[in-house]
Amino acid sequence: MLIWFLPLFLVFLMIGLPVFFGLLAAPGLLLWLNGQERDIALLYRNVYNGMDSFPLMAIPFFMLAGEMMNRGGITMRLVEFSQACVGHFRAGLAQVNILSSMLFAGLSGSAVADTSALGSMLIPAMKKEGYTVKFAAAVTAASSVIGPIIPPSGIMIIYAYVMGESVAALFLAGIVPGVLVGIGLMTVTNIIARRLDDFPALRRRATWPEKGQASLKAFFPLLTPVIILGGILGGVFTPTEASAVAVAYALFVSLFLLRSMGLRDVPDVLMKAAITSAVVLLLVGAAMAFKTVVSLSHAPETLAAFILSLSDNPLVLLLLINLLLFIVGMFLDAGPAIIILGPILGPIFVDLGVDPVHFAIIMSVNLTVGLATPPMGLVLFVASSVSGERVETIARAILPFLAVEIFVIGLITYIPAISLFVPTYFGFIMP
Amino acid sequence: QTITLRATANSNENDEDYDGLVVFKNYVEAASNGAIEVELFIGTQLCGNGAECLAGVADGTIDIYISTSGGASGIFPYVQVLDLPYLMADDRVAEAVLDNDSALVNWMQDRVLEDSQGSIRLMTIGNTGGWRNFANTQRRVAEPADMDGLKIRTVVADLPQELVRALGASPTPIPWPELFTSFQTGVVEGSKNGITDIMGMKFPDAGLQYVTLDGHAYMGALWFMNNQRFAEMDMGLRRVVVDGFYALQQATFASPKRKSIAAYQEFVAGGGDLYVPTPDQKAAFAGAAGPVFEWFEKNVDGGSEVLAAMREAVATAEADIARAYEDDLN
Amino acid sequence: MPALLQAARLWGAANAGLLWAGRWLAVGCLGLMVVIILVQVVARYVLNNALPWPDEAARFFMLWMTGLMAPTALRRGGFVAIDMLVLMLPRVVASVLMLGLLAVSGMVLVVAAQLGWAEVTGFGGSFKTASLMTFFTIDFADGVPFVRVDWGWQPMPRSHMMASLMVGVWLMLTVTGELMLRQIITMMGHGDALTDIPENATVGAE
Ligand code: NA
Ligand code: NA
Repeated sequence: MLIWFLPLFLVFLMIGLPVFFGLLAAPGLLLWLNGQERDIALLYRNVYNGMDSFPLMAIPFFMLAGEMMNRGGITMRLVEFSQACVGHFRAGLAQVNILSSMLFAGLSGSAVADTSALGSMLIPAMKKEGYTVKFAAAVTAASSVIGPIIPPSGIMIIYAYVMGESVAALFLAGIVPGVLVGIGLMTVTNIIARRLDDFPALRRRATWPEKGQASLKAFFPLLTPVIILGGILGGVFTPTEASAVAVAYALFVSLFLLRSMGLRDVPDVLMKAAITSAVVLLLVGAAMAFKTVVSLSHAPETLAAFILSLSDNPLVLLLLINLLLFIVGMFLDAGPAIIILGPILGPIFVDLGVDPVHFAIIMSVNLTVGLATPPMGLVLFVASSVSGERVETIARAILPFLAVEIFVIGLITYIPAISLFVPTYFGFIMP
Repeated sequence: QTITLRATANSNENDEDYDGLVVFKNYVEAASNGAIEVELFIGTQLCGNGAECLAGVADGTIDIYISTSGGASGIFPYVQVLDLPYLMADDRVAEAVLDNDSALVNWMQDRVLEDSQGSIRLMTIGNTGGWRNFANTQRRVAEPADMDGLKIRTVVADLPQELVRALGASPTPIPWPELFTSFQTGVVEGSKNGITDIMGMKFPDAGLQYVTLDGHAYMGALWFMNNQRFAEMDMGLRRVVVDGFYALQQATFASPKRKSIAAYQEFVAGGGDLYVPTPDQKAAFAGAAGPVFEWFEKNVDGGSEVLAAMREAVATAEADIARAYEDDLN
Repeated sequence: MPALLQAARLWGAANAGLLWAGRWLAVGCLGLMVVIILVQVVARYVLNNALPWPDEAARFFMLWMTGLMAPTALRRGGFVAIDMLVLMLPRVVASVLMLGLLAVSGMVLVVAAQLGWAEVTGFGGSFKTASLMTFFTIDFADGVPFVRVDWGWQPMPRSHMMASLMVGVWLMLTVTGELMLRQIITMMGHGDALTDIPENATVGAE
């Protein structure tokens, strides 16, 4: 009986019930039908306790830091810096979009924030220069998934929280994969621009003085990731504390160094970050509650046994898991997917000899890419509302970019060093 | 009709708690001739911390739960008596003190039932992870003076913080998942844990290379059960359950002794420094920890009563053991 | 119909006022969280004297931030949902579906509102927090409206943290009620007469 929780949840989701309510209504209804009314209290209790966690606090803080950077004009400086670097490339503004996403990723942990911040700036600019809106929106959405891959990362904080992994190790492990996704997207953009000739003409290369000035203006913002990672690695603060320090630094830079924001802007910035964080935290709590009913139904044991019955070759299983995750990512947000599936899948692969950090990156990157796949791709929705283009149109235009992202997932899956080199170098993983 | 008991432990399958549960399940299901079935939920599948899980035991959504003293202290503060340092000399004393009919356990069983308005029973107290020792990344700690200034990780609870402070070190609350990184980067320099937890979390890889076997606290495991569930059973089945908890307790007493052998070997093989304090040094630790007892009696609800029960149980245990020596040695 | 519209107007005004207060409290909570964590960093790293309370205090404010802010997100349509089907269906069918979806959400919230009260006033709420002191405690056990306030410094019961989700659920319930009423009015063809709820930019999780 309880095993119907997943199909029922998907039905609720597809007919348009908000994910938060679907995660509670499906298992709650089944418990009730099953005569287990008393266990519905377990659901409620897990929503609360799922949110009551110190390490999760990094999510609102990184949200807040990102919001401050936007308000404080820091995002614009990153874009100007990217323009000075790659603006003269073929499909220059598209390349600027991608590089800006990589830089923005070092300050923010959210793909949605990336899409709305960079999209609202770059999509109109690209349109003005002659790019099609669907292409501009697709580039924006595709590159914004770098946000949660390069640290900091809300998704990795959630992974570390449910799986008891080290946030710092996951952050370090995400750097190279994130850069790889960026390089892959830039390459695809270049190929597309070569093959089609309706692309805007090349822009002129920035002069050295222009480059110098752009670098100078972007210097303090770009120091943020250095402070975050340096502070963690140097033993000054824990990853959760680093997120609060990032807020303080962003505030300091915007208020005093760049003077791009006034004290009176602060409440509004707090308000925006608090709304977003509240939704995320409730979702985390609901997913934790959902997971409880998954456990009661003994689905984890069944699923684990089924997966192991398919093959005992980790390489084959990893391929199958990537397929599963990709399909799950089409329907479910990365956070809830990690909370529900991580504890089931993680131990299987760790037992098969896959490094836990490596598996964390496979899962996080795959589900992050899922944020840009239809029908339930959060960043597609955001790109659609920012650009005015229909979700389905963007979904078609994004296909070549998705292809390269899937290719990078393959690389990450079968070359562990891509994820493990940096954390091993800093001693977070014993070779 | 089968009675299904839902049992949960927040640890994992490598833990002593799991060993105990396996023994319990096997005994109860066999001895009840299938009348009782035990369903195990290992990890945080049903609930994630002491307050949440005990609320589940109280309302019957969870039948059996193992809590550390820290997890239960928010509602049964006197269970922290187990964390008071250097009260019990060794395993033999501790196992006698935690016997289900000792002055201490009887006192606690009564109080738990009373303070939970008759909803929760304390079934038995076993062990989870042996003894707590001080471990650090900096230097060998042979006497209290060596602790001076070390940043020692503790849970967010008063008693362990008082102890660390009494020994001249600086208590630092760090969430368990962030501890490895914190050792590595130097946010904290030490902790108070059992060796199996230290090795299970690979802390030596993060630089935790100095362990002092001061054995300051016995890592008691409190096994709670929903009282109504227990009371609904007939006397025969109750007896099976109580015997099952006895078997569980004995298994958790034995398990860390066996498991710690490999853990200590692995620690030393990895270059770890294992120091056993001399009796004089141990007395110095105990002396320095004196203020913790005053703090406990003054601040913990039921503190002086439980401490008296504990002291009585220790005295009885030591007298019994002395008599046994008398008999065995001659 | 005028009665329904009037009801929607009053209900909307009441919700708007409640949520306005909630939002500003939540903003304060988030600000305090940052300050508390920074105080801990300074205390530990600079003064080498870690404080026992910031962990729990920051969580206290995070939970209240969530409970007080989530209802605003719900009212402004910030909860993540797939609206493809709603957009595809004919208008009448779609609005029936939307009313049904609101009813499901409402049912979840009705159950949660009761469980929330049971949790806060129950055994789990009577646990003491490990490090937080408060100069007054609210004893919920007597039941609303006879909540007793005890003055004097004492350890804070966990119920004061747990009340955050309960309050959040209650507020979300009244928001859902208002949204259902608005949906009914819209179905009857009087949607134009409703005052707009200020839209929020898309709220994204990741
Ligand atoms: Na990032
Ligand atoms: Na972008």
